[in-house]
Formats: sequence, C-alpha cells, structure tokens
Amino acid sequence: MTLTLLTLAIRDFRNLARVDLAVPAAGLVLVGPNGHGKTNLLEAIHYLHVLRSVRGARDADLVRFGAEAFHVAAQAQGGAVDDVRIGFARAAKRKKVMLDGVEAERLADAFGALPSVMFSPRDVELVAGPPTERRRFVDIALATTSRRYLTALQRYRAALVRRNATLREVLRRGTSDGATRVAVWEPALAEAGATLWCARVRWSRWAAPRLGALCAAIGERERVTLEYHTSLAVDPAGEADETHVREQLAAALERDRGQDLRRSLTHSGPHRDDITLKLGGRALRSFGSAGQQRTSAIALRLLERETLCEQAGRAPLVLLDDPFAELDVDRARQILRMLGDGAPGQTFLVVPRGDDVPDAYTALSRHTIRDGVLDA
Amino acid sequence: MSVIDELAGELSKLPGIGRKTALRLTYHLLKQPRERSIRLARALETLAERVHPCQTCFNPTEDAECAICRDPRRDAAVLCAVEEAADIGAIERAGEFRGRYHVLGGRISPLDGVGPEDLTVSELERRVAGGAVTEVIVATNPSVEGEATALYLQQVLAPHVARVTRIARGLPVGGDLEYADGITIAQALSARREMP
Ligand SMILES: [Zn+2]
Repeated sequence: MTLTLLTLAIRDFRNLARVDLAVPAAGLVLVGPNGHGKTNLLEAIHYLHVLRSVRGARDADLVRFGAEAFHVAAQAQGGAVDDVRIGFARAAKRKKVMLDGVEAERLADAFGALPSVMFSPRDVELVAGPPTERRRFVDIALATTSRRYLTALQRYRAALVRRNATLREVLRRGTSDGATRVAVWEPALAEAGATLWCARVRWSRWAAPRLGALCAAIGERERVTLEYHTSLAVDPAGEADETHVREQLAAALERDRGQDLRRSLTHSGPHRDDITLKLGGRALRSFGSAGQQRTSAIALRLLERETLCEQAGRAPLVLLDDPFAELDVDRARQILRMLGDGAPGQTFLVVPRGDDVPDAYTALSRHTIRDGVLDA
Repeated sequence: MSVIDELAGELSKLPGIGRKTALRLTYHLLKQPRERSIRLARALETLAERVHPCQTCFNPTEDAECAICRDPRRDAAVLCAVEEAADIGAIERAGEFRGRYHVLGGRISPLDGVGPEDLTVSELERRVAGGAVTEVIVATNPSVEGEATALYLQQVLAPHVARVTRIARGLPVGGDLEYADGITIAQALSARREMP
C-alpha cells in the first residue's frame, strides 16, 4: 500500500505563514531560491512523521517570528489515519495532536502516523558525523515502526537523564548514600536498554547485506559493510537474548558507578553505541571520499524507507531536499531509478532552479516558492 | 486587578484548569446563590486552617492522627507507602487493604530537585525501625520515577523490616494509581511481589 497526502495545510511554521495545498497522487516539485522556505515545507511534512524537527530544532523555534503557534495538518489515504492535525503553542509549550478528529492521549499514539523519509545533502553527517547521528537514525527508524521500541526508548531516556542528574547532585552535595541514589535508576536502564540493544542488533543484521547491495547498485565498487558497535560484553553477532543483555548492562552500570560518579556521566549503555560503516574494511567516516560518504548516506535513507515499508506495510512519503546536487550524473541516475523501483511513493522534491529537476520528475506538478509564499 | 480576575487567576493555578476554564468557573460562581459561594469559601478556609498532615502517616486530617491510624481494626504491622494522599482514596475504594498507610509526599525526581530528603522517607524509616511492622507494600506509580523511589525505599527499609513488597505492574505504565479502578488495584495488591 502507498501512503498519499491529499491535502496539506501549514500555518506559521518557520517562514511559512500560510500554505494550503491539494497534493497530486504522484507528488509535486517545489522550485525556489535557497533560504526562501522550500526545505521548511519538507520539514513540516516530516513533522507529521516524528512530531519534531528533522533538523533538530526546538518546537518553540519552529513558530514563525511574531506568531503564537504553528499548525500542520494533512489529509491522507493509505495510512494508519486519514487526518492528522498538529499544533504547538509557544506560550503553553504544549503540542496537541488530533488523529481523525480525536486528540491523541499520548504523543506516542501519533508517532509514525504519516511516515516519510527525507533525503537531504545534510545526510552526509549520517556517515561523516559523530555516533549520535547514527544512533538517532536507527532510533527513529525503529521507534516509528515499533511501539515497543518507542516505549523502551522513552523509558531509557527518562532514566538516563535522571541518573545523570543524580550523579551531578551527589557530586555537588556529597551525600553519604550516593551510590544507592544512583543505583535506583539502573534497573530501568538495563531493562529498557536491553530492548533497544537487541532491536538495534537485529536491525543491523538485517540492514548489513542490504546496505552493501544498495551501495553497489548505486555504483560503489568497494564493499560497504555495517556493524553494530557496542561497549557491552555481548557479541552483537551472536543470538541477541534480552535477559542476558539486561544482566550484562546492569553489571556494566554497577561496575562503572564509581567512575560515573566522579565524572557525572553514565559511561555504559546503548546511548554510547555506534553503527560502524566500513568501505573495503576501512572506516567510511574517516577514510571515505566525499562522494563515497554521500552515496552511503543516501543508501542509508533508502534503507530507512525499506524499514518503514517492511514494518509498517506501506511505502512512506519521499521527501527530496535537492539531494543529488553534489553527486555525479551516473550515481544520481541510479538512485532515481531505485527510488522509482517497486512502490515509488508520493514524492516531494525541492530544488533551487527549474532546470535542476531530474527527468524522472519533470512530469510532477510544479510550484514555486518565494519568501515563504507558494504560488497559487 | 478586579476581584473577578483575581479569583480566575487563583483558580487557574489549580491542576488541570486553564485560563478559559478558570474564567468560566468564576462566572458560574457569580451566577449561583450567594450562600453556596459562602459555603465554598468557608470550606476552603477550614481546609487551609484546620487540615494538616497526620503526625504518623502524613494523610491529611483535622486531628493529630488520621482516622485510619486511630482505627484499632487496621493492621498496624502492614504499611502501604503511597506517593500522594489522593492514592489512599483509590486503594480504600478497592476495599482490599486492611493495613495502614504512609504518604511519601511525592517521588524522587532529580530533574525537579526532589531527593529522598524532600519526602517523608526518614519518618517512614523511623516508623518501621520500631519493630512492629512486618511488611511495607510500596505502591508508588509504575513510572520511571515511581520505580526508582520504590527501589530506594527497599534499600533503606530492608534492614528494619522482614518484607518489602511492590504492587504488581497491573497498571498501565505511567498510569496513575489515583485514576486506577478498584479491581485493578485489588489485583495489583494481591499479586504484589518481594523486592529483590
Ligand atoms: Zn495517619
């Protein structure tokens, strides 16, 4: 099944004061100079997927300057819901999500409701950037497709910030039962952390051969590999048994408690793990050329799309933020071919100039944007 | 500031009441018979002046000790530790528990600067250290903070009491005890387990 937006309405989101679009089934192309708001449109659509900024901005910073609140609403077909409306008010600091006219009791209920994958030049950070980029990538792919993963992720993060706050507090005040105060957060970390760890390891094993194949298809000659890299004394290549991982994680937290107390930081756990990408056996992050890094970043996004297709059973929206700008023509053509293969998915392509639109998308209806205003 | 604005302002400080609702309530009070508003005002005054925490369990009462602590039929050897006094009402409605209570006054919440010393933990410790208590049932909420508070209590109380138990996680995660129905609470209590 393919997810399709029918309408899209945006109010006061970044520089987009008012957008009302009827979206054609195949998607659309948006042409506009850089800095005029075309990426903001994609960010708004992606917001319907993860309920936060794909660029990591705070909600308050997404509200248009001078406005009180932003709203993003879409009617869709082929998704888990037909109508999603999200509003965020700066003063109340509160996000409200309506699914088919009913307010979502928890934001988790709305997470991944209208899935999309965004391809952007910044994706190169997935490969060249620090481990947090790759953890966030895999967390979003898994949390939007598994409620269990999302719950574990929320619980893990909640316990982690509280353990770290306790570490700082104990260091500052030097309470006598400091170790006990820190330890009480550890069972939650071990339990939720084991769920995250096992799901990430399973995903990595599923993803590794696919990523290699995708990179080869795009034109990469050397073999690209993907491995889950962990500080835990459990072999990611072995059978991932959650009970065993939980015990290992609990033991590591206990072992590191003294060190953690001295440095006010939790040193062990999935929040310190990484997904290692290699090209011909060498780290892509440090040894890959800019072109190779870009290729594997796009392959990771294609993989995210596959994850969403497999887990959610429907093709997500495809958001293309001028992703081929710095790729050579052959690779760009391969990627476009791969995006078109199988279920293509509704596509939203934004480019700076009209002649940047690849042949494959010239048939899409075209809009222009200037200073946050779309042509009618 | 007008009296209307002042009252609406006070009402909007209550949990779950926004500015709009506060104004609506204020105008509602204006419309109702005078005597009813005066009764409400007296009840609030009495609440503020005469109600204070029970000296034993911290359940609000007008006397030195609350009705549950004074009731000789309630088993003094079994204590149920709850986050808030409102949780007592929920457990009482379930009608299963025959012991007494201890109101912690919250939960460990490092992001809000609430540590064990800000709760009635040391009072609970002293209560239990007397030797008359055989079991403490920890009925904090199943949130991350509620679970951490339960573990902390277990660590602190274990030297003084034979059994420290935790109510079963029959409640939805993050669900508040206060809103749980009677059957769920009864099941959570009877399926309580020893804390490791
Ligand atoms: Zn009492």
